[in-house]
Amino acid sequence: MIGRPLFSGFALGRTHLAIPVALVLVLGCIVPLGVLVVFSVFEVDFDAFVLMPALSPRAWSDLFHTWSFWVLIGKAVISGAAAALTTSILGYPIALALASAPLNWKGIGTVVLLTPLYTGEIVRIYAWRIVLGSEGLINTLLLDLHIVASPVKWLLFTPFTTALVLTYNNLPYMVLAIWVSAEMVDKRLIEAARDLGARPLDAFFKVTLPLTTPGLAAGVFAVFALAAGEMLTPSLLGGTSGQTAMAMIDNLFGTAFDWPLASALALALLAALFLTAVALGFCLTRFKGARAVIGRGRA
Amino acid sequence: MTVADRPSRDPATAPLLLAARGLKKSYGRALAVAGVDLDIPERAFTTLLGPSGCGKTTILRMIAGFETPDAGSILLDSQSLSGVPPERRPVNTVFQSYALFPHLTVYDNVAFSLRLKGQEPNLDNRVRRALDSVHMGEFGDRLPHQLSGGQQQRVAVARAIIAEPRLLLLDEPLSALDRKMRGHLQIELKDLQRRLGIAFVYVTHDQEEAFALSDIIVVMNKGRIAQKADPLTIYSRPADTFVADFIGGATLVPATVIAAAPGRATVETPLGTIESAAVDGLAVGDKAALVVRPEGIAPAAGGAASLSGEVTHSVFQGERTLVEVVVRDIRLSLASHQPPAVGTSIDLVLIPERLFVTRLAA
Ligand SMILES: Nc1ncnc2c1ncn2[C@@H]1O[C@H](COP(=O)(O)OP(=O)(O)O)[C@@H](O)[C@H]1O
Ligand SMILES: [Mg+2]
Repeated sequence: MIGRPLFSGFALGRTHLAIPVALVLVLGCIVPLGVLVVFSVFEVDFDAFVLMPALSPRAWSDLFHTWSFWVLIGKAVISGAAAALTTSILGYPIALALASAPLNWKGIGTVVLLTPLYTGEIVRIYAWRIVLGSEGLINTLLLDLHIVASPVKWLLFTPFTTALVLTYNNLPYMVLAIWVSAEMVDKRLIEAARDLGARPLDAFFKVTLPLTTPGLAAGVFAVFALAAGEMLTPSLLGGTSGQTAMAMIDNLFGTAFDWPLASALALALLAALFLTAVALGFCLTRFKGARAVIGRGRA
Repeated sequence: MTVADRPSRDPATAPLLLAARGLKKSYGRALAVAGVDLDIPERAFTTLLGPSGCGKTTILRMIAGFETPDAGSILLDSQSLSGVPPERRPVNTVFQSYALFPHLTVYDNVAFSLRLKGQEPNLDNRVRRALDSVHMGEFGDRLPHQLSGGQQQRVAVARAIIAEPRLLLLDEPLSALDRKMRGHLQIELKDLQRRLGIAFVYVTHDQEEAFALSDIIVVMNKGRIAQKADPLTIYSRPADTFVADFIGGATLVPATVIAAAPGRATVETPLGTIESAAVDGLAVGDKAALVVRPEGIAPAAGGAASLSGEVTHSVFQGERTLVEVVVRDIRLSLASHQPPAVGTSIDLVLIPERLFVTRLAA
């Protein structure tokens, strides 16, 4: 049916089918951005607590002159990228194992993978406190086995904790994305590579990795965005290091009632994340595999 | 290619390259390969022929190293392959679906194995030579999905021969192609095999293809070898009714042995008592089958007729016409240049030198 005239005088083609998609994109993406841009140049009457339409550079000037905002933006980019990196390194072996597992194991794998996602963030955060605290599971174990003499302090409320939990929280998304991609890689290609002299690791780097880059890319984009925007985990588990750009924006919108500055900071954070994501995407498409897999539809 | 200038004299009797003994493999409760002994001489074109599901692919996969036999051994150049991973076996495979790397160009596909070996000063030369040998020299920049089926097949062959394996395994490499292209590529493959002098083990379920290509044909039935011989022997002296039936074109007439000598037998059949060549090991009283091919039967000249039947079909095949005749409820075929009309009756003689008595397949 696609591409054939539905009624005379009006041919419904592929291009027309894109109209609803375009509308969703405009409404879902452009409008919120526009609102932020407009708010960022408004003024606030801090006595009456009202937002007043204006064309003021005040918020942007504050943003550029406050060094700590840029530190927070940098932290968001780094923790997003770090989570993307750690989850892809850990995610690959898990995803490949799932892809080659027998069918009933795949079902078990899916459940194990998804359960943490459904338990809710707060529950997981308190669970981590129980595991990592001074009198937590790990320290008790280390002390009982006489591996350490006093509890390890850096397990909880440090940047390490944040990195660990962000990796754990986001691992399922990465595994799912790579797994779907790995399922579509023809097993015979791996055999062909082995047949031609590739050891298992050669076959991974020369065949599996290139052909699963679309999944890797999807996982990287998702995990990067989720981890960079994460607020609860760093603030409840990261201790004094747990301040985030998101929490700052929340604070500015709420307690401080500085909507223009909050909007400007949100836009700056968005720009930084977007540019990083573009850079990541550019790196990933350098792999020949991504182009071949995506380009196959045009054959 | 180092052995290219040394043409094979009699490939079937060349020194032994691969020896498999007692190979067995089952998947769950299904027995895929049920005890196979296989000798592959050097430089020979050996074909595994048999219906779908008879275990041909499984044997190739055990030789290539993708499956571990449940029992039995494989020696290549007198070295056991047991525990040797696929990448360390001097064996390459042309896969049934070609399995070209979709993300690599034709050139990079062919160069794959040489690049894995590290520095190869002659890489470009060797890749070009391999591509030229399959007439794909101009397609180096293409991606696999930009090629036709026949071209993909050629690339798969170039990729598999570039590292000069001791043995090339080909799993139904032409089955996805149309008839005309198959014919072309059969000639090319046979030619390439002669020039390179590499031993080929070729899998097919197409008996015409097997006859066109092979020095040795191994006919398989339900995970076992039914017969292993040169094409002429397979055709004229089928080891049992399975082989005779699978090769096609033959009528198997039920027969009872009434006298037997080494290589000969006298049998009683609905067509009369006949003495002809026979498989060894038949004993008086055995149930057997008389293999009657179109060339084993002819229209009777003068008063020599021993049989008469009714013409039920006639199939024009260009140079000759295949006539189907029913004689005493048995359907026989014969070739004729002046076909009689359907429905008429015809007098026939059997030609005992062209008949063969074989045993019933298990
Ligand atoms: N991976 C497998 N799992 C289960 N059964 C298999 C597998 N591979 C082959 N078989 C079975 O083993 C038998 C032989 O298969 P195969 O060697 O592929 O036959 P062929 O190549 O002659 O068609 C078939 O009955 C097939 O169903
Ligand atoms: Mg097969």
